[in-house]
Amino acid sequence: MAAYNKITPEIAAQLMAVVGEKRFFEGAEIDPNYGHDEMPIYGRHLPEAAVDVETTEEVSEIMKICSANRIPVTCRGAGTGLVGGCVPLAGGLVLCTRRMNRILGYDMDNLVVRLQPGVLLKDLAADALSHGLMYPPDPGEKTATVGGNISTNAGGMRAVKYGVTRDYVLALTVVLADGRVIELGKSVCKTSSGYSLLHLMIGSEGTLGIITEMTLKLIPNPICDVSCLVPFRDVESCIRCVPKIKMANLDPQSIEFMDADIVTSSAAFTGNPIFPETVNNEDVGASVLVTFVGSDEDELDQKMIRLGKIAEEAGALDVLVVATTSNKKAAWSARSSFLTAIEADTKLIDEMDVVVPVDKIPAFLIYIRRLGEEIGIRIRNFGHAGDGNLHIYCCSNALEEGEFKRRVKIIMDKAYSKCAELEGQVSGEHSIGHAKMVYLKESVGEDVFQLMGEIKKVFDPDGILNPGKVCDESLVG
Amino acid sequence: MLKILVCVKQVPDVDLVKMDPETGNLIRTGVPTLTNPLDLNALEAAVQVKERYGGVITLITMGPPTAESTLREGLAVGGDNAILITGRPFGGADTLSTSYTIVKAAEMKGSFDLIFCGKESLDGATGQMASQLAERFDAALISCCFSIDKISGGKIRATRTLETGREIVEATLPCLITVEKDNFYGRLPSLKAYLASKTAEITMYSENDIDGLDHEKIGVPGSGTIVPRIYPPELPEPGQIIRTGSSRSDVGTLLALLTEKGSI
Repeated sequence: MAAYNKITPEIAAQLMAVVGEKRFFEGAEIDPNYGHDEMPIYGRHLPEAAVDVETTEEVSEIMKICSANRIPVTCRGAGTGLVGGCVPLAGGLVLCTRRMNRILGYDMDNLVVRLQPGVLLKDLAADALSHGLMYPPDPGEKTATVGGNISTNAGGMRAVKYGVTRDYVLALTVVLADGRVIELGKSVCKTSSGYSLLHLMIGSEGTLGIITEMTLKLIPNPICDVSCLVPFRDVESCIRCVPKIKMANLDPQSIEFMDADIVTSSAAFTGNPIFPETVNNEDVGASVLVTFVGSDEDELDQKMIRLGKIAEEAGALDVLVVATTSNKKAAWSARSSFLTAIEADTKLIDEMDVVVPVDKIPAFLIYIRRLGEEIGIRIRNFGHAGDGNLHIYCCSNALEEGEFKRRVKIIMDKAYSKCAELEGQVSGEHSIGHAKMVYLKESVGEDVFQLMGEIKKVFDPDGILNPGKVCDESLVG
Repeated sequence: MLKILVCVKQVPDVDLVKMDPETGNLIRTGVPTLTNPLDLNALEAAVQVKERYGGVITLITMGPPTAESTLREGLAVGGDNAILITGRPFGGADTLSTSYTIVKAAEMKGSFDLIFCGKESLDGATGQMASQLAERFDAALISCCFSIDKISGGKIRATRTLETGREIVEATLPCLITVEKDNFYGRLPSLKAYLASKTAEITMYSENDIDGLDHEKIGVPGSGTIVPRIYPPELPEPGQIIRTGSSRSDVGTLLALLTEKGSI
């Protein structure tokens, strides 16, 4: 284990001097939520102290103190992660960016926005919309911070058309482990200028530096949109339809997958059964929700007509249109509530966020379901069919926690091996944190994992930034 | 074959409507419209009846020309034909003149066995239309309908939701029904029906197209009520937010305040 120092009263006084008494917390004053993210099954670890920072300068001063005293620092946004990424495994200091929540300004000529990392995704989306613009990444968790989204390279539902968070980050201000402030990237559309440390920082989960300001690319808000729910009898025929939709030049904004089980849970949770469980007197086994954007209704109608032909040939039960304001609100509210709906009626939960080639989705889902039945764990899932990213949840209301963890480990070990066999990746958008580190290592192999560790040492030689995460095995065992 | 009438209304998305602080008027310009959500529950109930017993559903609304989109929405999910009553003389109508106008226009299509209405509208929210229409149609009224259990022999049996439980009632047709949403969530239209609804013919009635319409009974002249002023409710004193910097000290401050006020 790395040798870290404790926060002594003297160090605490120095930290407090940077942020002031009201934004420094110790002992019982620390918000207990700082000990976990949204996946408490991975354990709770409270820090010795916490600070709410407001400026780059404050973060720099804090890091200088922590670096000089070898105090571990875990950066935290809204704490909505799912792999223990913001959990302070080594204690030390939690540096929370929730008060760095200002949108600093728009450059309407270049369609960019500058903002602080603690701005919530929903607030950025609404503010951009008020400027006639759209921030294309659309992860399901709207109360996550945008800084957190960048730290995990979050994806979301619109990745099929627009790509992921990484594709919209133009520049970052980053505080390094020793307190130096660096600027990465510029507000330009192209660059061929050396190693991209910008892209190294994106998705690094606070292990290489602390992001304190971001410049993001926006696009004009689409003029109109429509979604189609395409229900099928079973998962296999449902997923087989996805490559055909992608090949048809329809340029969908999203293709979301949902099976019957999650639809039922969501309806019970939201109180609105917008997604039907039967269509034309047949039970729906699984559906895809396909969204199109365009410049006028005729364009969308043409796309829907073509989708209708593909769906019919693929054996869909029907194509249902989500066109009115009320139905759109209900449909996307239901879709966004899938995880919350699972959490609401599940005592013990663990998850995986694999991404596999789109045509391998049925193979993986069939495998994981059989595995769940064999091991005695309820498997629930939904995901982004258009990009092969599946959110798989292992759930139990009956098992004791120790037994649940034992069984889930068997499932996870086998499922990640299957994912590798199918040429997939460990995480599509939730990242590695500490929960998935062992699977990352297996997936990328010793050489790549070691290179990651060496890169970490270049940025953070004392290992004080978010210890025990991504590729840092110093706290294992 | 049952003849079914469903009354629908286009309303502003009230979440987005603001009030002019000077005049007290609602600022509706640029505010998106939607079909009154409770009307969609009523329409779903009608569609379920049609699917089970057979029938023809006529949609009817009164409003500006833009209300056509509400009718097309209804046609996409099971409506067979639609009537739009539109024209300046109908403007400013309260429920008295609206119910009169709706009944006169509906009579142009003959009589109806069943009439479905939303319980109230999102904007006006008077909840008076159903009972007024029932009276004018000389129809029985079953409100708060939880389920429609049987229709046969010119009678309807339904279960109503009461504050204290459920009530099973039977009525002779014609009957007007308002529904609870539990069993009547609106359905999504199929693509085929959605596209067909875009070009479906809609019967348009102006004040001169409706037989026997007494022009003194429509619009503002026919209204029994006037709205002299709309104003926002007075807000209560804002509460105090205790934010001393730590939860421990917040609790201490709260306890001190409650003790001072004699609450604990």
